Amino acid sequence: MNLGTVTLQVVIWWRDRKVRAVFCVHVRQHEVNLYFYEEHHFMDNDYILEVKNLKKYFKVGRPGLFSRADHRVHAVDDVDLRLKRGEVLALVGESGCGKSTLSLTLIGLEKATEGTILFEGADITHLNDRERKAIRQRIQMIFQDPYESLNPTQTIEEIVSEPLVVHGLAMNPAERKERVRRALEDSGLKPAESYKNRFPHQLSGGQRQRVVIAGALVLEPHLLLADEPVSMLDVSIRAEIINLLADLRESRAISVIFITHDLGTVGYFADRVAVMYLGRIVEIGTMTEVLENPQHPYTQALLSVIPVPNPRLRKKRVILQGETPNPIDLPTGCRFHPRCPVAFDACKETDPYLMNVTKTHQAACLLLDQ
Amino acid sequence: MAVQELELKPSVPSSPLVGFWKVFSRNRMAVVGLVMLVALVIVAGFADAIAPYDPKSYAGIQSSDIYNRPSAAHWFGTDDAGKDVFSSFMFGARNSLIVGFFAAFISIFIGGTIGVVAGYFGGRIENFLMRFTDMMLVIPDLPLIVVFVSLTKPSLWNIILVIGLLGWTTTARIVRSQTLAVKSRKFVLRARAIGAGNRHIIINHILPLVMPILVVNAILVISLAILSESTLAFLGLSDPLAISWGQMLNFAFGRGAMSVGAWWALVVPGFGIVWVVLGLTLLGNGLEQVLNPRLESHHLMPGKTTLRKEAGFHQLRKPLRDSPVVLDVQNLSINYVSDDKPPARAVENVSFRLHEGELMGLVGESGCGKTTLMMSLTRLLGSSGQIVNGGVIFNNMDLATVTEEELASIRWNGISIVFQGAMNALNPVRTVGDQIGEAIKKHLPIETEKLVEERVVELLELVGIAAHNKDRYPHQYSGGMRQRAMIAMALACAPQVVIADEPTTALDVMIQAQILELLNELRKKLGLAIIFVTHDLGVVAEMCDSVLVMYGGVTAEYADVDTIYNSPRHPYTQELLKAFPDLSNPEKRLTSIPGYPPKLDALPPGCRFAPRCPLAFERCSEETPDLHELGNGHVASCHLVEGS
Amino acid sequence: MSHYRYLLRKIGWSAFTIVFVILLNFFLFRILPGDPARSLTKDPRMKQDAVEALRVRFGLDKPIINCFDSFTPVRIGSCSVNPLETQFFIYVKNLFQGEFGISYKTNRPVSDILVERLWNTILLIGAGQILSIIIGVVFGVFAAWKARTSIDYGALLTGLMAWSLPTFWLGIILLFWGSNNGLPIGGKSTPGASTYPLLFQIGDIAEHMLLPTLTYTIVFMGEYMLVMRSSLMDVLSEDYILTAKAKGLSTFQILKDHALKNAMLPIVTIIAINLGFTVAGAIQIESVFSWPGLGGAIFEAVESRDYPLLQGTFLLIAISVVLANLIADLTYSYLDPRVQSE
Repeated sequence: MNLGTVTLQVVIWWRDRKVRAVFCVHVRQHEVNLYFYEEHHFMDNDYILEVKNLKKYFKVGRPGLFSRADHRVHAVDDVDLRLKRGEVLALVGESGCGKSTLSLTLIGLEKATEGTILFEGADITHLNDRERKAIRQRIQMIFQDPYESLNPTQTIEEIVSEPLVVHGLAMNPAERKERVRRALEDSGLKPAESYKNRFPHQLSGGQRQRVVIAGALVLEPHLLLADEPVSMLDVSIRAEIINLLADLRESRAISVIFITHDLGTVGYFADRVAVMYLGRIVEIGTMTEVLENPQHPYTQALLSVIPVPNPRLRKKRVILQGETPNPIDLPTGCRFHPRCPVAFDACKETDPYLMNVTKTHQAACLLLDQ
Repeated sequence: MAVQELELKPSVPSSPLVGFWKVFSRNRMAVVGLVMLVALVIVAGFADAIAPYDPKSYAGIQSSDIYNRPSAAHWFGTDDAGKDVFSSFMFGARNSLIVGFFAAFISIFIGGTIGVVAGYFGGRIENFLMRFTDMMLVIPDLPLIVVFVSLTKPSLWNIILVIGLLGWTTTARIVRSQTLAVKSRKFVLRARAIGAGNRHIIINHILPLVMPILVVNAILVISLAILSESTLAFLGLSDPLAISWGQMLNFAFGRGAMSVGAWWALVVPGFGIVWVVLGLTLLGNGLEQVLNPRLESHHLMPGKTTLRKEAGFHQLRKPLRDSPVVLDVQNLSINYVSDDKPPARAVENVSFRLHEGELMGLVGESGCGKTTLMMSLTRLLGSSGQIVNGGVIFNNMDLATVTEEELASIRWNGISIVFQGAMNALNPVRTVGDQIGEAIKKHLPIETEKLVEERVVELLELVGIAAHNKDRYPHQYSGGMRQRAMIAMALACAPQVVIADEPTTALDVMIQAQILELLNELRKKLGLAIIFVTHDLGVVAEMCDSVLVMYGGVTAEYADVDTIYNSPRHPYTQELLKAFPDLSNPEKRLTSIPGYPPKLDALPPGCRFAPRCPLAFERCSEETPDLHELGNGHVASCHLVEGS
Repeated sequence: MSHYRYLLRKIGWSAFTIVFVILLNFFLFRILPGDPARSLTKDPRMKQDAVEALRVRFGLDKPIINCFDSFTPVRIGSCSVNPLETQFFIYVKNLFQGEFGISYKTNRPVSDILVERLWNTILLIGAGQILSIIIGVVFGVFAAWKARTSIDYGALLTGLMAWSLPTFWLGIILLFWGSNNGLPIGGKSTPGASTYPLLFQIGDIAEHMLLPTLTYTIVFMGEYMLVMRSSLMDVLSEDYILTAKAKGLSTFQILKDHALKNAMLPIVTIIAINLGFTVAGAIQIESVFSWPGLGGAIFEAVESRDYPLLQGTFLLIAISVVLANLIADLTYSYLDPRVQSE
């Protein structure tokens, strides 16, 4: 993908530490940047994130004398994921499917009920506060609402330097200023000087989201969890944020998990897509595979109702009836069968696992067995 | 849903303190209160220097000096011991203020701490602290204080302690609910995601946002403490040797001021209390308005009259179909008027025609004026919106200028609105069936309750809601159901035009599809004309017959749907289409439009889109483009299409 | 089902609070310094055995509770004393029998005094509250409806000023003015009035009630007005009011059917919260106007260090407020359907 950026990455050993030097030329903007990242020794199979059998259940209702013991919401119910360095995975689903809970669990804001999360080879599923804090430098999160993600009483400079302060990095004020400046400019807020002393309410929605991204970048993370980062922005400025993320992925080799309910926005940006329904991944594959050959009935329905901005292509839509289910009362067998237009008897009894369609494309539907 | 599309960003100077002072000084209540307080504090502080007599000394006092009328020697007369009332007043101010402030300080400290701890940490701690607070809240203050003080030695310190230790309950409650509110805001979650610990979050995020409320509450607590002190002193429970206003009143009342007619001994000390408390109350109320600027306006305030207009009505387009025109909007211009700023030109010269059975899409982004335009059709703009030009022709009437009575019969009956069914578009304390029935009863000549109920059920079933739900409340409905209920309600009086204002934003994609399908079916079945307001180009492409694209309050382009998507002529439309994702062509790289929408009260000359337009040239920033006809009813306002 | 649980929870907590108040009432008087027996008689020359006899008569010789003979000074006693013989138990037992002890000053049973006084206070508070609620709510509605006009500003200012007046001072001023203009100077009725016909008695009481009720009304009306105004303004800015307007309903219809019910909810809460202030107001007004009510009783008890009366009055007032709060909570839950499905 040619974005007008040429990147050269070299891994060197420096003072007993493995360091990755990234040399980055932005052709269109006539800029050259050089970054250094400390490499953490991990499995050479290049997976930055491996999630196995992850479950997150919430207790429901008030505990008391009369409550039932195991009334739990299965927000995330047995999820497997793998993410390579520099890869972008789109996580798609409707409300209640568990995608936000999944990201909160990955970053440690929620404790996993069962399962393992491996980050750069290390098991980060159950860490104490101090260890967790060290991990937080390398996994960062961006939230949906740029109007609420920033503290209205803090200046932009304070907001972006807060992560450094929290982790005790760049104690030297000059160094700190420099890192903040770099983060702001990498997020497209140039010149950083004119933004530093402003307050969030003085910026537009797009600018605020860039500040949020700058705040995530300043710690030089390896993995970015973006929870619907553009849903609340005007359509005409969404692309600039997505293109920013694409640039960052190129220049800094950051992996991204991009959560969205709108597949259209990430069509050209994401490498792979995972579709979630009621806490499970029901289909996963490369973007092309899933868009052109969706196997799971839910994916097919979703794709058919996403409006296409071309009146000549008004298509046949599969509109599922009923409400978006919520994960308190799970149906027996396949979770999707009550709403599935092609369900048959076995679907009520057997809960399908992800089955291979191709080496890179899986779907959890009994129809694949036929 | 409120007509708040104008994101006019306030121009705040770089220093927050200066900015705050500017806003503060514009609030008359706060300033008056502050002045009153400062004046009194100065008097109390400089009492030694100002007071004509020393109230502690009995020098030169004779029995004939008791209860003397106001005179040159004693401006406010003398009291029961012959002392000058004015001097006692000044010194008394000291004690009253000191007790008030110190007691309040204790209360606020305790209440604030309990509130923050309970609100932030939640769980058992919160439960315990709040139960305790509720209990203390219920036990009546004054009797408890009276009992306490009567059992201990009367001294100022005891009074300070007792008032302080019993006055923290409301502060705790208020601080706790504010802490809860702040804790659930996204930036706190972000701080935790960064790795911040509790201490960092409380100091950097919770406290700065709780402070304003705490300060306002503190002012209230101080005034209550001063009132408490004076009450206790009056009841004789304070140190009789400490001069305070309450104590002065205690002496006067108990020592015959009334029977002697010495009104000055009674009025003056009380006046001091009123002065201080009123000053504090004004300051507190004013400060609250400054910190939490509520729009001091509501939906029932009278609107502005429509200005005389010269509707230069364009023959806009050839009819799309043979069906008659139901709604004809001509050159509509709407301003938002305010006292201290130039008017915001929210909509300027917009025209369109809606035919029977037509589904028109109104597309635009935030701040483009689409909601303002829709609300103006049946004159639902707030107290600051004003139609300054143009007309809205419906059923041979100009809705912009008809009387309120005529308008009331058109509303809903002729033109109804499906609002975004968020929680509050329906009254939460009335059943859904009730609210639908209300519309029916208002406009249709249906006599009996039973018939109304039948019609309500009919409507609900039409939109796919089971009949028994009519007796339930809005909060018991899911998001999708609420939206359907709004649609059912909009159809209650069989209107000719339905305005659907972003009805599917905030709903899941699948539910969105359900709602859209429903609207389409209903339209065909009932022959409705629908205006569908949205920012989603995909939805418009799927369903609409014609499209009106707005930018910055003006028409950018208006044509039938095929033309808009396949041969758009206005640069904004073109750019918008490029920015919109298209799953039939997923590899297409999306572009964006740099910059942001114009400020509607400070518009630059020329085309409103010029600053962001990739095809702009000199003339664009000098001269506003006209609406040019491009054949077949297609219009676009751009210099580039002139002469086509 | 859940509404019942809500009710039960609220009732449970009220009961708990009452228990707490009873305990507080008992221990408060035993913990704070001062020998009650000494204060029984202000006469320092009384002989020791006479004082002892008084002490026995009022049960003050018994240990307070197992293991503690007294709290001031702390004296440890026998833990194996029959608990039924401790002051605490006797106190609780008496409470349940409706016995509040004997007033030190007047030697009458406290419960008799309380019952007499209770009705007087209820009469005064009742009239005052009802009037202030009506006036305050009506003015508040007008102020909000005509927001930002001179009616609004006038009402706002009046409300703020009324709120700033100390209750007792307002009473004094009114009394001063009133007594110079023929109104009675205090008390509930003219001495000897009981021999006159009923109508005259009622008129007499009304004349005596006029000023205290007026004081009451002015002080509280301010707050109700301010709360009603801000509550109604909030409600009128809600989306569903716009929906109602879009339906073609008239302003009056909207106020009646949509706004008022919602706006009244905070008033109910405020009435409950105000109960504490209501009582405080009663104490002040009754002292100034010498009205024979519970508030005045507390005040007199404090003046003459009449502890049983003080204790009894405090307990009765506190329990009444707790119960009134409970009623307000329950009423609120019936008015707001959102609370029911908690």
